[in-house]
Amino acid sequence: MQTEQGEHEPSSLLWGLDPVLSSFAKLYVKDILRMRESSQIPVDDGTGVINCLCWKDEKWRENTDAVNSGATLQVSNKGGFNPVEQLKKLKLAQKLSAQLEIGDLLRVRGSVKTSREQREIMACSYYKVNDPVMEVQISWMMEVLHLYRDFYDKPFLFTKSVQHLDTAEGDDLLRSLSVLRRASRLLMSFIREKGLGSFRPKDVQHLLMPLLSCAPSCSTTQQESTVAQSSSKQVHHLFRDVIKALQDEGLVFRKVISQDEVYQAREQDKELRRVTKDIVREDSGREKYAEKGCHVLHILSCVRQTYSRNVSKSVIEMVLRCLERDSEIFSTIDQNHYKYISVTD
Amino acid sequence: MLPEPGVFHFPWEISSVQEGAAVRTYGRLRDLIASIRNPEVSEAVLSSQHLSVQYDITVHTAFVEPFLPSLHSHYIVLGDVERTEGDGVMVRARVLNCVDGINLALLQQAIVEQRRYLQERDEHASHLKIY
Repeated sequence: MQTEQGEHEPSSLLWGLDPVLSSFAKLYVKDILRMRESSQIPVDDGTGVINCLCWKDEKWRENTDAVNSGATLQVSNKGGFNPVEQLKKLKLAQKLSAQLEIGDLLRVRGSVKTSREQREIMACSYYKVNDPVMEVQISWMMEVLHLYRDFYDKPFLFTKSVQHLDTAEGDDLLRSLSVLRRASRLLMSFIREKGLGSFRPKDVQHLLMPLLSCAPSCSTTQQESTVAQSSSKQVHHLFRDVIKALQDEGLVFRKVISQDEVYQAREQDKELRRVTKDIVREDSGREKYAEKGCHVLHILSCVRQTYSRNVSKSVIEMVLRCLERDSEIFSTIDQNHYKYISVTD
Repeated sequence: MLPEPGVFHFPWEISSVQEGAAVRTYGRLRDLIASIRNPEVSEAVLSSQHLSVQYDITVHTAFVEPFLPSLHSHYIVLGDVERTEGDGVMVRARVLNCVDGINLALLQQAIVEQRRYLQERDEHASHLKIY
């Protein structure tokens, strides 16, 4: 009658063909108590249907005190925190969140496996989701879409050298990548400690000297003077690489491109933050942006017009994220649109 | 052997969906009608407005009975499309959920964006196949 533990049970669509299913079968009580509940749950997200194998934890079948009290718990209100009561409540909540019915909204996490030429998800965790106004489902649809566009659909770019990681060239590259990372961290922690709003190369290059011994391009056969020369050159090269990486990340930028090479530290730049906040605040009030919020590119072009032409998109994105983290603005339809949080919001 | 997924359709698209297809759609619960053929089974009517035209979808609720109807609330239905007499279209509901308070504009936008993306992807894939 019942499949043995581990045997693949027939598809739920076929169950209706079994006449025993819809009749009141005469069973031994012993068998009823031992009956295994189906773990097969077909899940539909609007793009496809897949079977999820959601195994229930055996411990929930035990006749514990929590189950005895039924779906509601009598809470002895003597005040204070009673760990035993709370644990019972937690176990009950866990149990209820795994009791599934047709139509329930589920979140399932697991690995994909193929069984009898059918793809299935072997769930390692699953639970019901409470979504009365479809907010979770809608934001899921938008989020997955962006994940595909921004990450999954972009091919992972291996640089030519990384493809030959077992060669000396590859080794070199790895070492220089780690030097670059350490150099970036050194520079940034120095800037943050000193609270530097802006700096010039000569203010920070000395920090990179200790890293030169790890740099792969050191030559041991040169004379002392040329060694000194080459190390200042190496520092210079390293600084160029680091500053470019920091600019790409949006941590550092040049407000004015001139002979005088001055870099602004984005985190310390209060003026940039103020200008950006003002732009978002003013434009949030305009009808054009009232519903969807201001797009990042629009904010960027306004900042470029009022503050500096050289502010990059990554710098502005970081500023906006900081403003959002500090609850001064909020993102509306996606991570590219922001609105100012006014008192009436 | 699994059922077809309930693909999201707008209420004004339901009449052009083929017989037997599984759909997800929505509307405000306007009416509950007892079926003439079988008084125990009721049908619900979900209503939507689009470009000043009202679209009504008849939903057969046999599989989701009993449900506590909340008139004029928004509902999401997942079910199979069936043709009725004349030009009628009906959805035989497998799931009928009240989602009153839903941000319909956001749902519509999510549906449109998802469709656009999936279409782009299919076009791109078929474009690659040609070459």
